[in-house]
Amino acid sequence: MNERHGAPWLAPLCWGILLVGGCLLMRFLEAPLRLVEPDSRAVVFERVDLLTLLGRHLLVVSVAALLSVVVGVVAAIAVTREKGRDFLPLVAQVASMGQTFPPVAVLALAVPVLGFGTVPIIVALMLYGLLPVVRNTLAGIEGIDPAVREAARGMGMTSRQILRQVELPLASPVIVAGIRTSVTINIATAALGATVGASNLGEPIIAGIVNGNTAYIVQGAVLIALLALTVDSLFGWLAPGHTG
Amino acid sequence: MDSQRSDDGKGYLVLVALMGAALVAWWWLPSVSVAPNRIVPGTGFSAGQVAGWPMALLASLPLLLTGWVALRAGQQRLSWLLGLVMLCLVGWPLWLLLATVQLVDPQLPQARVAIGAGMWLTLFLLLLALIELSTRMKLAAWRSWLLFLLPVAVLAACIPVGLDRLALWQEYQGRSDDFITAIGVHLLLVAATVVLSLMIGVGIALFVRRVPAMQRTVFSILNFLQTIPSLALFGLLLGPLAWLASHYAWLESLGVSGIGWAPALLALVAYSLLPMVRNTLVALEGVDEGVIEAARGMGMSRRQILQQVRLPLALPVLIEGIRITTVQAIGLTAVAALIGAGGLGRFIFQGLGQAATDLVLLGALPILIMALVADALLAGMARKLQPGLSPGAGT
Repeated sequence: MNERHGAPWLAPLCWGILLVGGCLLMRFLEAPLRLVEPDSRAVVFERVDLLTLLGRHLLVVSVAALLSVVVGVVAAIAVTREKGRDFLPLVAQVASMGQTFPPVAVLALAVPVLGFGTVPIIVALMLYGLLPVVRNTLAGIEGIDPAVREAARGMGMTSRQILRQVELPLASPVIVAGIRTSVTINIATAALGATVGASNLGEPIIAGIVNGNTAYIVQGAVLIALLALTVDSLFGWLAPGHTG
Repeated sequence: MDSQRSDDGKGYLVLVALMGAALVAWWWLPSVSVAPNRIVPGTGFSAGQVAGWPMALLASLPLLLTGWVALRAGQQRLSWLLGLVMLCLVGWPLWLLLATVQLVDPQLPQARVAIGAGMWLTLFLLLLALIELSTRMKLAAWRSWLLFLLPVAVLAACIPVGLDRLALWQEYQGRSDDFITAIGVHLLLVAATVVLSLMIGVGIALFVRRVPAMQRTVFSILNFLQTIPSLALFGLLLGPLAWLASHYAWLESLGVSGIGWAPALLALVAYSLLPMVRNTLVALEGVDEGVIEAARGMGMSRRQILQQVRLPLALPVLIEGIRITTVQAIGLTAVAALIGAGGLGRFIFQGLGQAATDLVLLGALPILIMALVADALLAGMARKLQPGLSPGAGT
């Protein structure tokens, strides 16, 4: 999303305030929630504090994202170096094939192997988040005009200098776009983690679906949507220009 | 491995690494797990415990041989290596059969064998080796698929001879009718999503071309929709649709309600619009203006140009959009099971609820296969239709 000119930080700020405000003030919104769900006894999700759920959601997503960015970028750099080039076709092929794997299926397959709880979800999210990061880093580095690299070498730069001062800066918009895709997918997939026993913003939704309480669903859904919008607009502010 | 830079002197590093990892997984991780019934958790058996270590050694010989050939001959003997990897892949179900015969007590009708982490990992690494080799040898896509079908056929042939004790097969047996229905519902939802979003998407794209001022707004809305997590969107639609159905009887008579196919289809279409509109637009704008000029010069009307020149030329990029949409819809439909839309996702969530691994697999594996097949088919179609044009914007 391209933000308006003028105050690019406004959008993330607004979404963020709505998000935190929503977590804090949800219990004062009983009347509108009652409209959605007139029959149930409780309409405000109170089993766990919403702010705690938000915190857990953010923790899982950011740990997974951090890991997949580090591992993904390092792996992509490694296979584009002279020594690791043998692995390039395989890694590129797997990264593009892996994108066709649905996140739910990946999460579902990770649970039997890794078990229920927070750690398996972090691992599953990290593995799945790796793919866009690797693919975009590869595309970014491979997309650089060979002449640019030649020129840098002609100026007497070492391979390390070329990587840090030429290749990474030129590839960074594409890499950041990959990270953005990866994080957006992870926020959504982490919510699905509530179905496998992780406690996060997906929890009110699952509780609502199970108990037939629409008000719970609305709370969870609105907060997750706000979180996704906050993070996405944050990327729009910090790294404008590229959308997935 | 001496790393001389000349290609012929060095070992084939990728395959050596894959086979090394496969050997480690084969020997150190549990090969299979056996349970007397569905409820009791199984006991794991390592490869050596299945039929004694000499047998396990014999079974790991093809892996060793592949690694050795890759190390010695480098990339000179790609077709040998392919043959050896295929041998390993065909051996995989046979080992499973051996483990079943050895470990399952025929007196217990409920006893079952589940594939262990070691075998899964070995299979995964072998498939990676297959992908690597077919990329390296530049095999046509359909040939690699044929190669892949061989081990599947062997696996299928093993089922009547004793592999019916495989836990995955037992889960299938318990609900074979349900399974067929679920696949049908899944495919139907995906097809409806793709058709609807194609119609609406092309419509929006044509509208945006006519009224360029709206382009920004339309894309903002579509981007916004795409950012909302699927679970949240499915959830948000429950309320409004339930309300509509309770207030308008004719909607209810159509089967519309808060849960079920209606909110699922709505959410799926909403998600599919962004890739569809984006690719349609790229497709239409990617047509060379000179061609349009020529068509106009020939006296074609605006409508004729659209129908006879623009759309055919735009087709490959349009199909690329359909590919992205289809693959995405196959995955999202699985989530739709949570709001009662049916489909294969139901098995996943049921299995997760009952901690029944193989039920989860029964749902997840067909979804994976569907996604891969749809991806391969549509990508092949796009390539076939227009060899000259480079594919358009991706996801």
